[in-house]
Amino acid sequence: MSALDELRQLRRGGVQVRKSDNRAAFWFLAPWFAGLLLVTIGPVIASFALGFTKYNLIQPPRFIGFDNFLRILSDSRLHNALRVTFTYVLVSVPLQLACALGVALLLNRGLRGLAFYRSAFYLPSLLGSSVAIAVLWTQVFGTDGLVNRVLGFFGVEGRGWISDPDTALSTLIVLNVWTFGSPMIIFLAGLRQIPEVYYEAAAIDGASRRSQFRRITLPLLSPILFFNLVLQIIHAFQSFTQAFVVSGGTGGPSDSTMFYTLYLYQQGFSRFDMGYASALAWFLLLIIAAFTAINFWAAKYWVFYDD
Amino acid sequence: MLRGLRRRTALTVLLSLTASLLAACGSGSEAGGELTAEPVTLRFTWWGADDRHKRTQQVIEMFQKKHPNITVKGEFKEWNGYWDSLATTMAANDAPDIMQMDEQYIASYAERGALLDLNEAKKHLDTADFDQKALATGAVDGKQYGLPVGLAMYSMVVNTDLLAKYGIPVPDDTKWTWDDVRSIGEQVSKAGGGQVFGVQSPGINDTAGLSIRARQQGKALFDAEGKVVLPPEIATKYWTYIQDLAKAGIAAPPSVTVEKASAGLNQSATATNTAAFGLWWNTQLTALTAASGAKLKLLRLPEESQAKSPGAYYKPSMFWSISSRSEHPAEAAAFVSFLANDEEAAKVLLTERGVPANVKIRAAIAGQLKETDKAAKEYLDTVPVSDPPRITPNGASTTDAILKRHTEDVLFGRTTPEAAAASFIKEVQSEVDAAK
Repeated sequence: MSALDELRQLRRGGVQVRKSDNRAAFWFLAPWFAGLLLVTIGPVIASFALGFTKYNLIQPPRFIGFDNFLRILSDSRLHNALRVTFTYVLVSVPLQLACALGVALLLNRGLRGLAFYRSAFYLPSLLGSSVAIAVLWTQVFGTDGLVNRVLGFFGVEGRGWISDPDTALSTLIVLNVWTFGSPMIIFLAGLRQIPEVYYEAAAIDGASRRSQFRRITLPLLSPILFFNLVLQIIHAFQSFTQAFVVSGGTGGPSDSTMFYTLYLYQQGFSRFDMGYASALAWFLLLIIAAFTAINFWAAKYWVFYDD
Repeated sequence: MLRGLRRRTALTVLLSLTASLLAACGSGSEAGGELTAEPVTLRFTWWGADDRHKRTQQVIEMFQKKHPNITVKGEFKEWNGYWDSLATTMAANDAPDIMQMDEQYIASYAERGALLDLNEAKKHLDTADFDQKALATGAVDGKQYGLPVGLAMYSMVVNTDLLAKYGIPVPDDTKWTWDDVRSIGEQVSKAGGGQVFGVQSPGINDTAGLSIRARQQGKALFDAEGKVVLPPEIATKYWTYIQDLAKAGIAAPPSVTVEKASAGLNQSATATNTAAFGLWWNTQLTALTAASGAKLKLLRLPEESQAKSPGAYYKPSMFWSISSRSEHPAEAAAFVSFLANDEEAAKVLLTERGVPANVKIRAAIAGQLKETDKAAKEYLDTVPVSDPPRITPNGASTTDAILKRHTEDVLFGRTTPEAAAASFIKEVQSEVDAAK
């Protein structure tokens, strides 16, 4: 009997759950609930209310109706931040997933030392959004950085990748693609679940590797792909640390790395406009919700569930 | 995995993740009363570099020896992180008792009621030895929200070692112009062969530089009410000059300029000996000299002799402010008084925070100064100035950041100097309006 069946039986009341067990469970969960209320739900509600106020962190908030939300429509720097963020999400997520899938397919061929490679490729995911890596990135892509040294070796003249508004965002995209480890692990797990017999049958029928991939791997992997896609899009929309550290908190040069979250942060903590920042947070929630809804709607047409 | 991951499971996971997105948000005694004998802990915060932390910590220990019941906890940061964290602690009603405050921010904090009027603590905080003009720079609407620590003046720093190396004479700064800076800079760039440039590009943390150009024409950035009155043609000329320096190769290429600017003083063109001229506050001479190892000299600002009145002025390098929500305002005032009036403390602090605004202290430490500190003091004592500009109005504390972004837009050809000038004025004005 698998764990899932056990759980089902529990639900159906096949096993009696004593009341005292319930109480114990409650006490064990209490710290988590307290945390949820105080650090998540409380601030979420507060930020919703603050979105309708002018609040400068020190004086009490003042109700101003929908002004903050109307300002979203006319704020040209915000529109630039949206453009930067959309570019980042729409370019880096597909590239990242393609890398993740590619490497997962390679690793799934039963290499020797799989555990080592898996860890090696996964490592950047753990480090990717850390301050240390962002600092390292400024070194790697600086005028005297590693990238320019390598280019110089081949006789190509480099540039200040991070300090040039034409290329600064690309370095952040590269950074995000580099952290393909966590979707890769999920892909690997998914690949392992695809029964070998399908491939054997296809091979006997003379299917090429390519059509095996297209007709067996992709469909059976599509729920995983979908899961990764939705998750990574949300993750990318919330990116903050990389842009903050690489641009020194400015989103520069010329607002070229001004992520939505960074702009929101600046509104709240540099301009002391917590009301507008709260409104922006809720607007971001709407954007992410919209993207996720579109994803779920589109999933009907390409995700194949095998149950 | 494949079978376990049903639609509903995926949805639940996603919903909880989306919810976690929003999780990221996150007075006692009288100022004029007696000092308490009970144990008291004061929190004191400042920004700065290593040298400052060591000196300040030393002075804190001296104070604690005199007042054994008072503990002063120092919290120090870099300039950038400092303001973010101060804003956050203010919001959390957890502001430090004593704060190092800057001219750009003092009105923003004072007008929102975050700072104590130091006159209320007069009993513990003597300001008699302060230059009255300097004292006035820390007042907003007649209330003393900050005690000026030191004075600084905007100046041109020249690397005389570089000029000597290329056989270029040091210019006569009593009558030079911005055009002279350009032409001498051109010679340096030519001789420097792409490694050394004539001028460190202005326009990065340079609101003072723009303000001085306006002042030389008898204009200003802000009027008394805090309205932006900078004439667009002055700003246009300013950005045209910056654009020309970069295009002519007199300043480093834009991306190098931007990179060095974000790396801090020690990586600046002046500190790395890669530009002969740079605009700095005169009190930064010591730090710059230490970093560059070259001989640096303070020159007067260009075009001062042709100006209607001197563009130069005394800027309070920083202030001591006390939180209006401090539970121990009297003790905090006593500590500020120690920082500002005690000769022993002054002999440790010297001019690291600027040439002292306390006239008596300035005289007391004169004999102890290093050569670069002496040069900074002499500059302050001899170069003609006019009345300081109005302090940065509430809401305009982001002016430096706005200026830098417009300079980047100009340098990378994303806008013209004319458009940058118009946009800059409009944006600063809207920041001031928004704070009302």
